[in-house]
Amino acid sequence: MRQIDKKIADSYFRERVRLIVIFLIIWFIVSFGVVMFAESFKNMTFNGFPFHYFMGAQGAVVTFIVLLFINAKLSDSIDKKYGISEERNEQLSAGKTLDH
Amino acid sequence: MDTQFLVSLSIIIASFALYIGIAIYNKAKETSDFYVAGRGISPFSNGMAIAADWMSAASFIGMAGTIMLLGYDGLAYIMGWTGGYLLLTFLLAPQLRKYGRYTVPEFIGDRYESHSARLIAAICTIIISFVYSIGQLSGSGVVIGRLLEVDARVGTMIGVVLIAFYAAFGGMKGITWTQVAQYIILIIAYLIPVVFMSLQLTGNPIPWLSYGKIVGQFQELDQQLGISQYAEPFLQGSKWQFLALMFTLMAGTAGLPHVIVRFYTVSTMKAARWSGAWALLFIGLLYLSAPAYAAFSRFILVKNVVGQKITELPAWTEKWINTGKLQIADANGDGILQWQEMVISNDIVVMATPEIANLGMFVIGLVAAGAMAAALSTAGGLMIAISSSFAHDIYYRILRPNASEQNRLLVARISIAAATVLAGLVALNPPGVITQIVAWAFAIAASTFFPALVLGVWWKRSNSAGAIAGMLVGLIVSLGYILAAKYGGFSIAGIVDTGAGVFGAAAALVANVVVSLMTKEPSQAVQEEVYDLRYPEQMTYKDGQVWMR
Repeated sequence: MRQIDKKIADSYFRERVRLIVIFLIIWFIVSFGVVMFAESFKNMTFNGFPFHYFMGAQGAVVTFIVLLFINAKLSDSIDKKYGISEERNEQLSAGKTLDH
Repeated sequence: MDTQFLVSLSIIIASFALYIGIAIYNKAKETSDFYVAGRGISPFSNGMAIAADWMSAASFIGMAGTIMLLGYDGLAYIMGWTGGYLLLTFLLAPQLRKYGRYTVPEFIGDRYESHSARLIAAICTIIISFVYSIGQLSGSGVVIGRLLEVDARVGTMIGVVLIAFYAAFGGMKGITWTQVAQYIILIIAYLIPVVFMSLQLTGNPIPWLSYGKIVGQFQELDQQLGISQYAEPFLQGSKWQFLALMFTLMAGTAGLPHVIVRFYTVSTMKAARWSGAWALLFIGLLYLSAPAYAAFSRFILVKNVVGQKITELPAWTEKWINTGKLQIADANGDGILQWQEMVISNDIVVMATPEIANLGMFVIGLVAAGAMAAALSTAGGLMIAISSSFAHDIYYRILRPNASEQNRLLVARISIAAATVLAGLVALNPPGVITQIVAWAFAIAASTFFPALVLGVWWKRSNSAGAIAGMLVGLIVSLGYILAAKYGGFSIAGIVDTGAGVFGAAAALVANVVVSLMTKEPSQAVQEEVYDLRYPEQMTYKDGQVWMR
């Protein structure tokens, strides 16, 4: 066990939080945002659909899936940047919950 | 007994044999395995297991029908039940994984250092899972009722026996791999009919690309028939109801104990993130297809059933009339079926689709097996959540800390059997259609666990008094609103019972924050533990310093 600068740990946390905030803003816009203005999208069409219907049935869901994969991928690269080893994580978490 | 019955029954029995075979192979021996399947299931497999756990009878049987009947307004279910995975994966799953406890009540009890909070959380888990399982049992009633051509209530009773036996038999270890098999069967069963229908109606085998045209055509067809416009927004409820329902389903997703517990089965925070991503991909396959089902079925009904002579309706209608889920009455006595003269239950659309589209016996049987897989897999997960709340959190952690493992397993199994039978009794006379019953479970989860978990993970100042106040206020507000809206005709901004979670969650959040700030801050140890959740496993926070291990 070695001590690391608290600032480094904090910037790890900040980078992760920044990602989450950005993703949740997109999440909000494609779901709640589009519904709030559904009437104004009614006359646009996309692939045969009225646009508001397309977003509800497909656009939002596909965006959600893509965001989750981008999150997993980018979080991995943040881990890598801060020298976090997944093998070590696995060792550390093994059996952790069996101690009560 | 006709050939169809034999074909459907043999496909269902074959799929059951597969699940039971897997369960026997992995039969749980220790309690640690019973609850969380050991550790170290890969994110890909865990994603499939989450997807099977997640996609219940409501998703498989009820959702397409709900969308067909509600039009655009039904899409709140599609976005709500997928969007919740972002809240879960971003805000809760990795942190809960690092904190590392067996169950949600256990996290709440230990994080808030309070047996009262643990007890309330255990009771909430039981209430939520119980309400949710009513929907599953009533779903299996629809499937079995159709199969045997009997009343759906008789089908429900048979389903109760099956599910009680099935859930008490193995633990989650059996269930993880069983659920992977169930996912594969249910997704194949869901996709085959919709692909064929797409091919028949549009000449394009890819339903996701082709059904836009059908939705576009409804505008004209609906006008001719004089029925409400399919894609027109907010005809069935206010815009606020749509938003409230969507929020309820999203926040409820992130607070459902039987889904959260699945994230304890992966090894690390990183694996939890990937599990969430895979899970939503697998779930999305079904959720992207449900609106296609809805559009195709509605198109066939509008084109081929409505406007026919009542005496010359297609043969499949008669079998569904026998289950009590389809009603036809010639109200104006002209001998021809009008759209308004047909009462079609949400719950039969997917099940009836292969018959409507004439896809043959094998596909009909496969869909029945898929629906059973959806109902069983979710009911299994729910029963595990109920039994672990009772046997682990209440019996072992509060009542009898010295209970032997054998004793605890016995208590777990008895509570599964009791819960299934009770839920079955309620499901005999379901208080709503499947999607509606399930939405109540989400409203309660969104109002109790979602605020307690999010604050527990992200705000170290939140303490036991705050958590207890928050969960109780959330429970009372959400249950009160559901009852007042359903039976008392009460509503705010047009928000009905299914949107109750938005009020419950807001009230619980405020109660938790206000009461926490008014009372003493939590112990130093707990605050450090919460601070520690900011970092990956390898970093540890201690006395204001961060250590790398």
